[in-house]
Amino acid sequence: MAHPFEILGLAPSFALDPSVLEQRQRELNRALHPDRHAGKSPAERRQALSRAMDINLAYRTLRDPASRAEALFALLGAPSTRESTISDPALLMEMMEQREALEEARRAGDHGRLQAIGRAMAEREREVLGKLAAAFAPLLAGPPSPEAREAQLASARQLLAELRYVRRFAEEIAAFEDD
Amino acid sequence: MLLDIFDPKAPPKPIGIDLGTTHSVLAYVRDERPVAVTTCDGGPLLPSVVHYGEHGQVIVGRSALSHLETEPERTLASVKRFMGRGWGDPQLGRLGTYRFVEPRSDEEARVVRFDLGEESRTPIEVSAEILRSLVRSASEQLRTVGPAVITVPAYFDDAQRQATRDAARLAGLEVLRLINEPTAAALAYGLESRSEGTFAIYDLGGGTFDITLLRLEDGVFQVKSTGGDSALGGDDMDRALAERMLAAMGFEDAREAPKPVIALVLSAARDAKHRLTDSEHAALTLPKRGGGDVRVEISRAEFEALIAPLLERTGKAARRALRDAQLQATELDGVILVGGATRVPYVRRYVGELFGRPPLADIDPDLVVAYGAALQADQISHDRGDTLLLDVLPLSLGVETMGGAVDRILPRNTTIPVGAKATFTTYADNQTGFELHIVQGERELARDCRSLARFTLKGIPPLPAGQARLEVSFHVDENSLLRVHARELSTGVEQSVEVKPSYGLTDEQVEEMLVDALDHGEDDFEQRRLAEARVEAARLLLATDKALAADADLLDQSERQAVPEHAERLRRALAEDGAEIGAQASRLQALSQALDSATHAWAGRRMDRAFQAALAGRDVSQVAGRVEHARGVEAHLSEHQRAEDQKGAT
Repeated sequence: MAHPFEILGLAPSFALDPSVLEQRQRELNRALHPDRHAGKSPAERRQALSRAMDINLAYRTLRDPASRAEALFALLGAPSTRESTISDPALLMEMMEQREALEEARRAGDHGRLQAIGRAMAEREREVLGKLAAAFAPLLAGPPSPEAREAQLASARQLLAELRYVRRFAEEIAAFEDD
Repeated sequence: MLLDIFDPKAPPKPIGIDLGTTHSVLAYVRDERPVAVTTCDGGPLLPSVVHYGEHGQVIVGRSALSHLETEPERTLASVKRFMGRGWGDPQLGRLGTYRFVEPRSDEEARVVRFDLGEESRTPIEVSAEILRSLVRSASEQLRTVGPAVITVPAYFDDAQRQATRDAARLAGLEVLRLINEPTAAALAYGLESRSEGTFAIYDLGGGTFDITLLRLEDGVFQVKSTGGDSALGGDDMDRALAERMLAAMGFEDAREAPKPVIALVLSAARDAKHRLTDSEHAALTLPKRGGGDVRVEISRAEFEALIAPLLERTGKAARRALRDAQLQATELDGVILVGGATRVPYVRRYVGELFGRPPLADIDPDLVVAYGAALQADQISHDRGDTLLLDVLPLSLGVETMGGAVDRILPRNTTIPVGAKATFTTYADNQTGFELHIVQGERELARDCRSLARFTLKGIPPLPAGQARLEVSFHVDENSLLRVHARELSTGVEQSVEVKPSYGLTDEQVEEMLVDALDHGEDDFEQRRLAEARVEAARLLLATDKALAADADLLDQSERQAVPEHAERLRRALAEDGAEIGAQASRLQALSQALDSATHAWAGRRMDRAFQAALAGRDVSQVAGRVEHARGVEAHLSEHQRAEDQKGAT
């Protein structure tokens, strides 16, 4: 199947404006959603349904930054990165400290502290997203030397692992705040 | 008052139906405004209650309600709670007057059956009776009732949606679309006030609670997130009150009370709830266990304390929905109230505090859903206006993996329709079968989720563990109904299995019920089959003619001959008469099928054109590599436009 950027008629990029993505999804659904083809023949309804299904999956994939990064890796012909872990020792240490702080705040029921950690994580997420956009830009721009490409891919993979970690962390805080 | 003048050639009127837990409403659009049909009870609300008399008579609505106290075991209320449920579902253990038939096999356990003594009914059949009653009332006022949009709680899972669609089929209705109740409500508000923005729809009905966050932009209503509880509603307020009353009557354990007493107390509780909307106290006299009377007085404060835990559950779901949509309560432009239970003053106060603003309730909260459904039915069948409704998957869909965990294939709140694929592999050497268990829900373990289907893919060639590759694809259509296909990829041998849901009814069962329901069985059924085949064939021919007029240039050489030929054959068969009814219906179906197959690939090319047209005229820089191609299509389109203009001139 075509890659999600092609399905939505968008140029591949990590720094995708969410409002552009949403607008595109709306326009394509307006043309291809089954409700728009209710009076047509079954063949047309089937075809419209099948395309609308692809469009909405592509939208779902590109809306989430982690799966958008995966889609870009696939497009670049680089292997899937689902298993990759953080290898930077300084980052690992920092994450462990944050986790301990979270556990402590949770035990104490300290909502102010939890919110502060949440805000720090949100800030961190924004930072990582910016770095990922910068890491993907040269990879998508043109064919660099094989060594440069490998280094850029490795750095993008590290950033994706970090993004996943930060988001899981933020979700845990939010889930705790809900109860 | 305006009267609709009867026009025998008028097309059937599209309708919207709110099939509710406590009551149901049918509405249609007249002069661009939704109107609710007066039901057999004289008002727009038809109580969703069906009474099965001992002599076979079926009574629906308020007259059925009056039987609830005298013959509770033959009178079924709130059956919506049991739609899509099987034997052993926790819903069956709730306080109520139902008697269930104990299943004799796993097959029978898939669908709940209500015990009516010598016979039994499924929730689908009971719902079909309610739909039939509504349609009868509508036919008297509209003559020809057309296809329907039917609403379901946003939180309904696949089984519950399938059951709703089966009920409509059984009632002889063509279903245009199932839409979510809160979305319908927003549609009613949005279309009439033309407002744009982000809204929360807080829907506390008789038996279900839904919270939906919705964005209106450029004429597209898009659900941002949805959540709720398909087993929480105004009935629970009645139950909480009833339990309090039963305790005062001497039934410490409410379940010890006889069924007629429970029915009486539930009705008294409903009454007390309504009275507490306007006054601070409700006093009532109830029979004491073992004789005598007891006077029970309930203050509004006491009532509010009783229902506070129920409202807390709604608050929790609302906070989660906000988080899923990545929204703060302060970013909302309005909160819409839906459902009769939102008339309770405490509910309004609670919602106001929850979202930090007073909620909107301009449209009758009991009718707003049916109004929205009617507007949507009108839109879809006339392809009118520019409004589109994009719904989301209410609950995640996944597959059980080794160890009982769930691998989520499609997470909740994904825009539908949507399709996704996942690949699995074998875990043992020479494994030739693969068992798939499809579940729906948010829990980590498969056993805590709703089981939708189980099947085994057989005939996989013996291979070392991990070598076979099983591709499972999920297709969720615009009604949120699921189909699953599986095939084995490694050897190039394709096997495709369509999953039949492990609950609900098969097509054959629906057909059987249909035959039973019609007075003269088989004959009527064949007549109806022919009538449907005729309508379907005529519709197909019309669509094909339109497509030929618009996109004949997209036909390839063989199609240019085959498509008109197939169309002509069908047209001739449609004009012929006299053959045996069943044979004629089958012939029309076969020829329609042939025309459909002949146009399949061409329809795909037409959709490609629609896709390109949607991209064309957009900001060119975003279209990147497609620009050239898109321009080509624009040229096509302008040529086509010229051709159309010329046609118009002659």
